[in-house]
Amino acid sequence: MIKAIIWKELLQYRRDGRILAVLLITLALGFAAAFNGWSMVETQQRERQAAVTSDRTTWDNQGKKNPHSAAHFSRYAFQPTSSLSVFDPGLKDYMGSAIWLEAHYRDPATLRAVEDAVEIQRFARLTPAWILQVFAPLLAILLAFAGIAAERERGTLRQIMSSGVPPRQLFVGKAIAALCIIALLAPSVIAAVALAANTHDEVGLPGTGLRLTGIVIAYVLYIGAFTFAAIGISARVAKSKTALVVLVGFWAASVVFVPRLATDVGSALSPAPAAADFQARMSADASGAFWGGSEEAQARRAAVEAEVLEQYGVDKIEDLPINYDGYLLQESEEFANGVFDRYYDELWGTYETQSDIVRLFSVISPTLALGNISSALAGSDLYAHRHFADRAELFRRDFVKLLNEEMIQKGGQDGYGYMADNDFWQTNPDFTYRPPSLGAVMSNIWIDILVLLAWAIAALQLAFRGVRFSFKQEAMA
Amino acid sequence: MSVQAITAQEKRALKTEPMQLILLTAFLFASLYAVLQGSFYRQAQIDTVSSFTAAEEESINDWRDRLIAVENGTTAAEDDRWAGLAMDVAFPATISPGPLSDLSHGVSDVKPATSRVSLWRSVDRLFGNYQFQSPIDTAAGAFDLAFVIIFIMPLLMIALSYDALSEDRELGRLGLLLSQPISLRQLVTARLKIRFGAVAAIVLVASLIGLIAGSGGQDMGVRLSFMGIWLLVAAAYFLLWAAVITWAISLNLKGETTALLLAGLWIINGLVGPASLSAAAESLYPTPSRLAFLSEAREASAAAYKSQADIMQGMLLDHPDLTAENYSIPEYIRTAFLVNKTVDDSVVPILTRFDEVQAERRSFLSKLQFAAPSVLTLQAFNLAAGTNLERHIAFEKSVRDFKQSIAEAVEGKVIAGERLSVAEYDALPRYYHQGPTVGAVLGNVALPVLFLIALATLLGTIARANLGKLQNRIRET
Repeated sequence: MIKAIIWKELLQYRRDGRILAVLLITLALGFAAAFNGWSMVETQQRERQAAVTSDRTTWDNQGKKNPHSAAHFSRYAFQPTSSLSVFDPGLKDYMGSAIWLEAHYRDPATLRAVEDAVEIQRFARLTPAWILQVFAPLLAILLAFAGIAAERERGTLRQIMSSGVPPRQLFVGKAIAALCIIALLAPSVIAAVALAANTHDEVGLPGTGLRLTGIVIAYVLYIGAFTFAAIGISARVAKSKTALVVLVGFWAASVVFVPRLATDVGSALSPAPAAADFQARMSADASGAFWGGSEEAQARRAAVEAEVLEQYGVDKIEDLPINYDGYLLQESEEFANGVFDRYYDELWGTYETQSDIVRLFSVISPTLALGNISSALAGSDLYAHRHFADRAELFRRDFVKLLNEEMIQKGGQDGYGYMADNDFWQTNPDFTYRPPSLGAVMSNIWIDILVLLAWAIAALQLAFRGVRFSFKQEAMA
Repeated sequence: MSVQAITAQEKRALKTEPMQLILLTAFLFASLYAVLQGSFYRQAQIDTVSSFTAAEEESINDWRDRLIAVENGTTAAEDDRWAGLAMDVAFPATISPGPLSDLSHGVSDVKPATSRVSLWRSVDRLFGNYQFQSPIDTAAGAFDLAFVIIFIMPLLMIALSYDALSEDRELGRLGLLLSQPISLRQLVTARLKIRFGAVAAIVLVASLIGLIAGSGGQDMGVRLSFMGIWLLVAAAYFLLWAAVITWAISLNLKGETTALLLAGLWIINGLVGPASLSAAAESLYPTPSRLAFLSEAREASAAAYKSQADIMQGMLLDHPDLTAENYSIPEYIRTAFLVNKTVDDSVVPILTRFDEVQAERRSFLSKLQFAAPSVLTLQAFNLAAGTNLERHIAFEKSVRDFKQSIAEAVEGKVIAGERLSVAEYDALPRYYHQGPTVGAVLGNVALPVLFLIALATLLGTIARANLGKLQNRIRET
């Protein structure tokens, strides 16, 4: 019987020009999005590779220079773009792609793609993930809103009941038929995956296959939730027209309005610091408190001097066997690193609180839960960026220390007059980056997974109970 | 049943119909939330700019006071050899928040609003580290009044009125209604007037509250002028949707088909249109690589550092008057000036290309924006609000030009290692960014507004004709 219901539904869908039109438009947009995503990622990866090469060449050939001057010039860490960003670029365009690893300061990531985007890009971005998050549920609604209500309106529900079809079979048949049509969007997703595989991913995400599987499961749950909810609402309301209005209203709220409202509330409750103020405070605490003219700063430098003189058993700086300027510079770095940790922990904490607040809204919008899972598995979420930024900062500290050590050990009494040359620069290491493991990623999104699962189960219950309810209502009528 | 009776019935329904009440109340809260969060946003912008300017002015005033002390002989010249150092001249450059930035944030949340114009910074670093906004917030976009009007308002209008005619027909009472002294046009118009009027009233009230709440001490006359333009754009967009909905109703389709048609148009207008246009603009007119820009600046900097002697020699050949035998300031200051000057010159072609691409994109979108009224409206809103991309790009360019003018003015003093005099310092230009004039903004939004009104008139005329024909058909049957 289920088979018969599925065939009947599919036949009905085939005759409905609206469904065919929406399906074709969504499919076309999906292919365009896949190509667009591939083009962007491929460009980003190519540009990054060129920048990494240029950075190394420039560093290696800077000629005679004081190591501390070189530390000010320093190097850049360029964030890699994962191949799965073809499918879901997540927050990638809104976070910088390059971090300057200069001495004395921890810089934020700069060169955000959004700054070069056109104004209307803030409305909507053509990516495969966006297409599936926005249009697949709409297609599900279109397919299922009349599922039960129209049967009742036409009087065919009574016929179905009289032929002995149990509610469960009717629901399963209608759900499978709707999901079969939505599955026709798969070629655009497959195209995105195929194009992703064709990019030059220098820093592969650990467990790419599992991530991809996770993404597919998450989207199936999401689309399933909307399909079941549409059948459930269709079974509960008197008219298919009412079901359509309720479902489109829910879709608009869930997909378009709540995500904006949630982030807005999040940033109002946990505001990011004003850039100028953040910088001024951090600079004063990290640099001013060591190099400044305050009594505290002078005492700090005096303590460093006393300690090093005692360590080497001499009375005067001139008698030290090391370059004292280099030593003082490194001490200032060690002092500042603690300050940077404090400020950046606060900054990341602000973002993460915002993220948690947004997560609360996923209780009324499954799109938020799906968005978190999708971008996390694609390696383009906030956690991926923080992971990269933190690793870059650790490298910065080691790199600046390496340059200061060169000055300390070889600079003698030359102070800032000591010069290193290309032979030294060419031995300096590159920043290498390994993205977080899949386990670490999963530990950040397990709540989202549970929420999405809960949505799917609740929608399933709504649908099944709804169909049973409609049978009872019809029997009593 | 007369027009008055229909109007009275509609007014009653607004107060008693639970669904209408819920939708209108939700819209009222969304609008008020948008204007209130906008007022906080604008105040934060004002505070950022004013505190930055105050801090920078305090710093440069200290510099000037030290120079006065040397000139007056209060401080011996040899006791403060840094006083009047031309390289240390720095001025704040800021873009004031747009006159209605609270109502439409535009790109103001991702673009820099302040710059410390200092000769110590090459143009690639003029805007410092400003990228501390939350990527979560930035990616989602703002929940401002522009968003409410462009997205939520039409959907509410659709939900309130898609069945303004179909319900009567489906219930079989349309013929009865038309047997009364009322025409179909009058019936539809009377219903829609009340339903749309309620929506328009909420938008107007929210805008007026926003006008006062978000003023932030701005001259109310200026704000009112821009608000006039804002309301003109909002009214044109509102009229367009009113006409679209009336046209859809006049097609005499089934209620659910009318709802589907309107929802489809809303999606194409608000999501598919902007996504496709932005993807097309960015694919057809790609910006130069920001990473390549960075690499170019670094290569130029490293090369200039290595060949500083040659650069200096070239400079002295061009300006023999700058030859100074007895420099009182360290060599590295002159080196920094020359290196930055070389970097500034080397990145000019890339910066020019950035500006060209943005101009090409604007030209492209200025033609294609007519394909999606939401795009047209958003750009017009941003223009009126002073948060459009063009204004911010112009700000960035003017800051670079300003830095160039300061560098040219003090170049001789830096190279010769001489102090600036107070008179010379006072004669240096100061940065001032001219905000948009009401006339210019009005000129720019005139065509989009006229287009929206023309389209609304066309659809309204077709709807009117359709309703006339429909009435005749009903009477004939």
